[in-house]
Amino acid sequence: MSTDVLRIENLNKVFETPEGPVHAVRDVSVEVRGDEFFSLLGPSGCGKTTTLRMIAGLETVTSGTIRFKGRDLTRLPSAERNLGMVFQSYALFPHMTVFDNAAYGLRLRRVPAQKVREQVMELLDALGLSGLHGRYPSDLSGGQQQRVSIARALAYDPDMFLLDEPLANLDAKLRVQMREEIRRIQKDLGVLAVYVTHDQEEAMSVSDRIGVFKAGKLMQVGVPQDIYRHPTSLFVADFIGKINFFPCRVVARDGSGGKVALRSGHEVVVGRFQALDDAEREEFGVETPAVLAVRPEHIEMRPRDAEGAGGPVGVVRRELFLGSIVRYFVDCDDATRTVIVEAAHPPAGVHEGDAVRLTTRPEHALCFGG
Amino acid sequence: MDSPTPMPDAATPAVRVRLEGRRPTRDWFPWVVGAVTAAVLLVLLVYPIVTTLLSSFVPQGEALSLRNVSLTNFARFLDSPLYQRAFLNSVVVSLASTLFATLLALPAAYVMARVDIPLRNLIMSLSVIPLIAPPFIGAYSWVILLGRRGIITHYLDQWFGITMPSIIGPTGIILALSLSYFPFVFLIVQGALSAADPYIEESAAIMGASRWRVLRTITFPLVLPSILSGAMVVFVRALGNVGVPSVLGGDYYVLPTLILFQVEGYFNLNGAAAIAVVNVLLVMLFMLVVRRFSGQRRYVTLTSTTRGARRSTRLRDRVLGSAYVWGLLLVALLPQIFVVYSSFAERWAGTLFPTQYGLGNYRLVLRNVLQPIVNSLTLSGAATAMALVFGLITAYVSLRKRFAGRWLIDLTVMLPFVLPGIVTGVAYLTTFNSGWLTMTGTGIILVFAYFVRRLAYSFRSISAAIGQVDPVLEEASTVCGASTGGTVRKVTIPLIAPGILAGGILVFSTLIGELSVTIMLFSGKWKTVSIAIFEYLTSYRTAPAAALGSVVIAATLVLVFLASRLLRRSMADLFR
Repeated sequence: MSTDVLRIENLNKVFETPEGPVHAVRDVSVEVRGDEFFSLLGPSGCGKTTTLRMIAGLETVTSGTIRFKGRDLTRLPSAERNLGMVFQSYALFPHMTVFDNAAYGLRLRRVPAQKVREQVMELLDALGLSGLHGRYPSDLSGGQQQRVSIARALAYDPDMFLLDEPLANLDAKLRVQMREEIRRIQKDLGVLAVYVTHDQEEAMSVSDRIGVFKAGKLMQVGVPQDIYRHPTSLFVADFIGKINFFPCRVVARDGSGGKVALRSGHEVVVGRFQALDDAEREEFGVETPAVLAVRPEHIEMRPRDAEGAGGPVGVVRRELFLGSIVRYFVDCDDATRTVIVEAAHPPAGVHEGDAVRLTTRPEHALCFGG
Repeated sequence: MDSPTPMPDAATPAVRVRLEGRRPTRDWFPWVVGAVTAAVLLVLLVYPIVTTLLSSFVPQGEALSLRNVSLTNFARFLDSPLYQRAFLNSVVVSLASTLFATLLALPAAYVMARVDIPLRNLIMSLSVIPLIAPPFIGAYSWVILLGRRGIITHYLDQWFGITMPSIIGPTGIILALSLSYFPFVFLIVQGALSAADPYIEESAAIMGASRWRVLRTITFPLVLPSILSGAMVVFVRALGNVGVPSVLGGDYYVLPTLILFQVEGYFNLNGAAAIAVVNVLLVMLFMLVVRRFSGQRRYVTLTSTTRGARRSTRLRDRVLGSAYVWGLLLVALLPQIFVVYSSFAERWAGTLFPTQYGLGNYRLVLRNVLQPIVNSLTLSGAATAMALVFGLITAYVSLRKRFAGRWLIDLTVMLPFVLPGIVTGVAYLTTFNSGWLTMTGTGIILVFAYFVRRLAYSFRSISAAIGQVDPVLEEASTVCGASTGGTVRKVTIPLIAPGILAGGILVFSTLIGELSVTIMLFSGKWKTVSIAIFEYLTSYRTAPAAALGSVVIAATLVLVFLASRLLRRSMADLFR
């Protein structure tokens, strides 16, 4: 097991455009080690691809350093970094066969022809491409092209495996299958992987750790569960999965938890507080001192007039049966927008048009600000 | 001792490959290529231009130095009636040719874009012939047809009693130039009209605008930038053309023929340089005026609509449209048709039509002109190779590399595009006639001059080809460990090979009949086909000139046809 470390420190990228400089990546610092599968996740234009391209050496670094195994890569030409990369469009050489595409990096490294042949054929077999080595990329399906581009990237035993939205051009079913396969191969080879995607579900399912980007900044780094359960910003809370926001003010603090009051005056016990910075406060239009955040699956719903029912009141506008779960859209004056509630079992006596009361458990109630 | 061979793990596929790969070496290639390219452009382009500019300010016979700078050469435009007349004539002839070429081209472009005309591919292909065939070769046909004892003149007189004005002088030059160059406007405007979003015109029509009103208020303003850029090409060409006024000018001098006169008559290179500078100033003035006109008028008419402009299928439109287009083509191709016709005339003295036909002229040409043919092929071939190599480098750098001085490369490469041919000739003669790099009289100087003249052609066609290649392919190659040179060789070049080849054919075929530069720089040993034709023409041996001209026209036509097949683009597209 290698213990190679990719260390990125204070990475910045400023593009000079006719409209003036654009700060695409701001002060990104992160460490990835060993055979970790690390994803850069964020909406389009957030700087994740630019960061990957700087790691690849395809984009110059404005400031900051990229080090790998203690070696400074920052100014090293891409060709000398010994990387394997899969591009969104696959970027297969259309004038070369599958075999020649996969053998490209090995031949550049002057590996003897016999060995090239053995290794490439072995790799093509492992990727389920046996028998296709003589074909041209245009004769392959999207999934096959994807595999060829993986083969090309991994054939020469690269130090790092970079993937730039590799699944974006595949259909939904194939996407799920390929992401599992990519992770399996990556773990087999024990190669460090950096993966760029805008699809949070994809990132959650394949990654060991995720770095969430927003407007060029790395907002949060962590394992998928942590990012989902303990988002450190409204943006991450909102971007990863679904979440409901309820403006509130803090009425009591008690260790890590406390109690908040919603606009309607209902009080909710909160298990965890998280700081809220002014920029986010402005961006999300938070006028109250704090915001309560609760995931859809953590909201419980009971008919308004049921015995012992408490909590803020809402009206079920729409009930959506999704197979394993039922999703409800609830209009509630305490929330910033339509509340989403998800339940494995439909709560008894709740139908479209009904008035309901919403509650949650303290460990699922996260308060930003206060 | 012996460790057992580890069994392959059945659960995980054997993708584990470890190898003792060599790391790629440092990437020095771009620097060397960049330096060589810069040096070549500097010596072959910038240096001659600067020298010419300087020598235009130095009186004839004086040393080329800043101390000898004076306006003597330019003063000739004030004190010599010959210079004044040539200047005025050039302005008149170029403007008139541009105007007529544009007026002839616009209806044809509109018809081809908006009316369903039969045989449109044939029409489009035929329309490039005037561009392919060197204008001076066809120019003499106008004398045969419209001269004092010409065929058309004769019949007009006999049947209608009409006496034609003399074809020698401005009338003939303007006629020949407008008919040779109208396709520049035609092709650009036709392309723009076909690509224009049909919805814009349709929405105007729905709002109640008449067809004429749509044309005037919507269509015309939209394609005005295309019209102007086509007109500009015509103007530059007309202003720099030396062959047509030499054949049809008589004692009507224009700036290019005045340059020729100064060089051939007096070897007054400084004077020629000054005339060349004035010539370029005229081009720049015209460009500025056009810029003023089209500056704020940039419209993006290319949309995502895959639907082309709607073509009228009304019988009246089709008949009138066909009549106009075919009539124009017939008149424009008349000189070329006549060149071929008269190439078979073995005896044609004092009669209206030849009295004996045969292949005698071709035999004569083959016997006497073999060397010039070989020369032309050699020189054009060498220049084409050079233009392709440097066209590839400059196009690649300009499209793929980001650095501060990139615009300088674009400018340098495209510069000869606006320099009239005769000016390049004068610049080379002035610069390389003496000094540290003396080349006059050699074949090399012709190769270099051809190269400079046509670099923009290969640059443009290779740029277009590279533009079709997704840069991510090159990035993929780089990430795999390939150097810039390796990537270009293994990925870029194979992918753009058809574009390179087609660009090469285009350059090569248009060099075979090149006259404007050649006439300044050729020597006894390096006489070309175009010079041979020119000499035949100016010594009134028109039949062998026609035979040789036919060969050139046919050969270029075949080559251009091949290029269009190769690129799977129409011949018309190659010149757009």
